[in-house]
Amino acid sequence: MKTPYEILEVAEQATDSEIKQAYLQKVKQYPPDRDQGMFQQIHSAYEIIKDITGREKYALFNYPEADFNALLDQAFSLAEPAIMNAELFDKLLRAGIDDKTFLTTLPAKAKS
Amino acid sequence: MNEIIIGIDLGTTNSEVAIVENGQVRVITDNGKKILPSFVGIDDQGQIMVGEAARNQYLVYPERTIKSIKRLMGQDIQVDMAGHAYAPQEISAIILKRLKAIAEAHVKQPITKAVITVPAYFSDAQRQATREAGEIAGLDVVRMINEPTAAALAYGASQADRKHMLVYDLGGGTFDVSVVNIQAGVVEVLSSHGDNHLGGDDFDQQIVDHILDHLSETKGVDARSNSKALARITRAAENAKLVLSDQPFVQIEEEYLLEHEGAAVHLSLELSRMDYEEMIADYINATIDAVHIALKGAKFTPADIDEIVLVGGSTRTPCIRERLFNEFGFEPHSEVDPDLCVAMGAATQAAMISGQNVDAVLVDVTPYTYGTSALGYLDGEYYPHTFIPIIHKNTALPNRKTEAFMTTYDGQEIVDVTIYQGEDPDALNNIKIGEFLIEGLQDVAQGNIITLTLDLDLNGMLHVSAQEKATGLEKSITIKNAISRFEHAALDSAKTRINTLFGQLEAEDAIAGQNADTPEIAEARKLIAKAEALFDKTSDEDKEDMIDLIEEIQTAIEAGSSDELQAASVKLADIIYYLES
Repeated sequence: MKTPYEILEVAEQATDSEIKQAYLQKVKQYPPDRDQGMFQQIHSAYEIIKDITGREKYALFNYPEADFNALLDQAFSLAEPAIMNAELFDKLLRAGIDDKTFLTTLPAKAKS
Repeated sequence: MNEIIIGIDLGTTNSEVAIVENGQVRVITDNGKKILPSFVGIDDQGQIMVGEAARNQYLVYPERTIKSIKRLMGQDIQVDMAGHAYAPQEISAIILKRLKAIAEAHVKQPITKAVITVPAYFSDAQRQATREAGEIAGLDVVRMINEPTAAALAYGASQADRKHMLVYDLGGGTFDVSVVNIQAGVVEVLSSHGDNHLGGDDFDQQIVDHILDHLSETKGVDARSNSKALARITRAAENAKLVLSDQPFVQIEEEYLLEHEGAAVHLSLELSRMDYEEMIADYINATIDAVHIALKGAKFTPADIDEIVLVGGSTRTPCIRERLFNEFGFEPHSEVDPDLCVAMGAATQAAMISGQNVDAVLVDVTPYTYGTSALGYLDGEYYPHTFIPIIHKNTALPNRKTEAFMTTYDGQEIVDVTIYQGEDPDALNNIKIGEFLIEGLQDVAQGNIITLTLDLDLNGMLHVSAQEKATGLEKSITIKNAISRFEHAALDSAKTRINTLFGQLEAEDAIAGQNADTPEIAEARKLIAKAEALFDKTSDEDKEDMIDLIEEIQTAIEAGSSDELQAASVKLADIIYYLES
């Protein structure tokens, strides 16, 4: 099963507009009138990752490499436990996409 | 060479046909005219007439002439033309057949396929009726595309930069507004909204009512019951509307309109643009509200729109431009003729389907939410008809969605599935578009899982299937015209009927290389006419036999095989003889 990033052939760090470009290019290549199945695949891939909210959701619930439990364990095993405020939780979500490790960014921010 | 697919704009007041030739979109002319008025009539010889001639006849013989049939598409009603009842599909088919002939005369070869445009806000039933009209006319409707989308395609093909476009499409009978993103050769509809019963005809009607009121106040005459006078008033109202697009006042004059108590009644009335605009203000307000709904659907504000494209003849009304200018702060475009751009877009899409290289690719959305009803909560109360949306408004086409539902009591053997179209959380406030039963479910405890799949195709038509998960028991339907079921046999007989009506006309503008009727063929056509005259008096069985034979004869004529023609004609003559004796 291909990931949306693989279907659209974009990097996981791609911006909204890069993803849009890639999507349109694919649509041009596989118009809905010629290959409906392919178009639906392309379109749903785009729907999933078209904006940051979608990409975070995808990372959280579909991304096999972001081991959320491991990240949480790491966070809780810190000498000084982090207080889970909204900002921190947001960071935790983003960590899955951008860094894949939570530890590197957490301690410094947690103390502030 | 690729197979030719024509693009057709089947409008409420005007229709056009276009094709792509050598990479160029071209609206095909008939006697130098690009526009075919959507009027159908029967002349005093019983011959069918379409377009300009029928429109002229409307004044003198309104009872033999049909206008604005598009407004009735998808309804289970019949219209009367010269004493015969016709389904809206049949009248539309007559227009389509004429357009087909115009295109055939141009390309000098038979055409069997078409892309037909429909208002974006056309319902499933209206789309189905349009497809049936194509079938009756002998056209395989390979795709139906939405009119504002077609217009955007006609504009978008030449755009290099990214643009957010608002298409405001006000035709004779329908209104659509679409927000479109044009970028990298893709015309992507982001949202669509509209009203499938709002258009220039309503504006005319306001003026007609105004004139009728004036007549009854000043002359004490009720012109409503006089169909000829009413036809003249309707035409005068239309003309007044057109004049008011350019002038601040119009003088409406109709002499000898009708007779009242032995004296002739003349109509003479001045109408100002201001008064007229007040009459139609509610309609214009409704369109502006729809514009905002479409913007919201695309998550846009007016500032995000780069261009406004006006489509449809009714957008010539000056106050529409003013209102849009007030909303957006710039003037709308109308470089491509608002009457022609829809047909041009249809031709572009037709070329794309037939495999030609085109500049722009289309992604369209559905303007409707589709779903079903189930037990649930509404406003905190337990409610048996909660609307469960499955495919949401502004979803890209095609789209396929599956939802799981559970049976509600032990041993439930039947599930009644109803499909609705609309936005209201109470399903009963939405439009019911289809219903079916899944029977013979397993005798198990409640909670038996049933999956419901909605499949919305590129034509905006819905296919539904339901499955009992444990056994795979399946039931599927295409949401056919739930209101007017035009059965297959009915379609066939309509086809024959329309073909016969066209008999003579087709011979006149027969495509190049085809000879005029031989005496043999002329004889056969007479037979067909005779047979059809008997349709009303015969049993279904005999009627079916006759329809089959008529079809055989027509195939034989087309194929030019005189033996088969002879054989079928003899059989048909026998049946007629038997029925008449």
